[in-house]
Amino acid sequence: MIYLDSAATTLEKPGTVPRAAAWAMTHLASPGRGGHAPGMGAAKLMYDMREQAARLFHVGDPEQVVLTYNATHGLNIAIRSLVKPGGTAVISGYEHNAVTRPLHAIPGVTVKVAAGPLFDPDGVYAAFEREVTPGVDAVICSHVSNVFGFIQPVDRIARLCRERGVPLIVDASQSAGTLSVDLEGWGAAFVAMPGHKGLYGPQGTGLLLCGGDAQPLLHGGTGSLSVSQEMPDFLPDRLEAGTHNVCGAAGLLAGLRFVSRTGPGRIHAHERALARRFMDRLEGAPGVRVFRGEAQSGLCSVILDGLDCEETGEALARRGVAVRAGLHCAPLAHRTAGTQDTGTVRFSFSAFNRPDQADRAAAAVRRLAQGGRY
Amino acid sequence: MVYYLIICRSLTYAQRTAQVLERVGIPSWVQRSPKLISREGCGYCVRIPERRLTDALTVLRREGMSPKQVFLQTAEGEYSEVKP
Repeated sequence: MIYLDSAATTLEKPGTVPRAAAWAMTHLASPGRGGHAPGMGAAKLMYDMREQAARLFHVGDPEQVVLTYNATHGLNIAIRSLVKPGGTAVISGYEHNAVTRPLHAIPGVTVKVAAGPLFDPDGVYAAFEREVTPGVDAVICSHVSNVFGFIQPVDRIARLCRERGVPLIVDASQSAGTLSVDLEGWGAAFVAMPGHKGLYGPQGTGLLLCGGDAQPLLHGGTGSLSVSQEMPDFLPDRLEAGTHNVCGAAGLLAGLRFVSRTGPGRIHAHERALARRFMDRLEGAPGVRVFRGEAQSGLCSVILDGLDCEETGEALARRGVAVRAGLHCAPLAHRTAGTQDTGTVRFSFSAFNRPDQADRAAAAVRRLAQGGRY
Repeated sequence: MVYYLIICRSLTYAQRTAQVLERVGIPSWVQRSPKLISREGCGYCVRIPERRLTDALTVLRREGMSPKQVFLQTAEGEYSEVKP
């Protein structure tokens, strides 16, 4: 199988990741819950993981690195912390439901969409310039669109937010592990990311980098201040109620080490080269529409004329190419790009894909477009 | 042996405290805070040798870190709070 659905979850992991997770299962207990060796071993692992992440993402203090279940969990905490009922949020035109649904769930919130054209960073920035005004509760922006791989101008948007005194939440779901994610440089209030995509950790892990005050989403035991019925007012305990996913954290630490050792820039260059190679192979193919731009990461979307995107995905799966079709939980992104009615078929590459896989996937798409679907 | 216990607000803070101290050669152990001195319930502290308290507090101050409380633990296992 050629696995090209890494924007959902990277399937092939560094060998250290499953080994670390399996080892943790039988050797580590709960951090913050005991002074014995398995408990303290778990505590050390959690701290090492926070430190590794803090170094990679420019976080001043490991305490500001919170382990979550996924990026959605982190985004919910961030959004609930900043956006109040009746408040206003500004979001990009390429946001995932992980952003739009939590906003929709807060009563009376006005959501302003700073929508710019696809692969046009200047256009996106201009839209934010118009919409971000003092008094806005929060700006929420995905670093990279999960549908099109469009790299949004987060550096500039962060500067704009700082100048206008509006807190920024960055969804780094598609950029953590490949692009520079810089909590302190951006001055962001929060950065949320999954552990199981570009960080090569297990599913069920994520990180929330906290630059400001946060409100807990879950309440419960933290192994600290147990006499009080209030959640602790310090991180990470404030946001980490209940037993940690220690096995996940062990795998995530191994993934973080892999990314740090390899270098996000190198991984990005590799994935982007594969995506461009794939798109080059589809250049001029009749009936194939490729969404391509300069500001694009290692993932891309295509549409085949006259063939439903889900059927395309199914047909490719039968040919041994694993992709994701449909709206990708991001109807807003499709609306912005004008693909809401058709959806798209997404091809996303990882550090473990090879050039020949890009070639074979492109050949499979060409054959399908020529009518060889069954 | 006599030790000082530096009480920390959280396990992560205790780990960071111990890391800062270890980095300058002050032996440090993260452990559960004894119930007798942990008025707010479960918590962690950093244990350091008696003779290193002044150095430790200087280093922590330089790093912008503030211990919640400091206790002297005697050889008999008794605790007395120290006001640094």
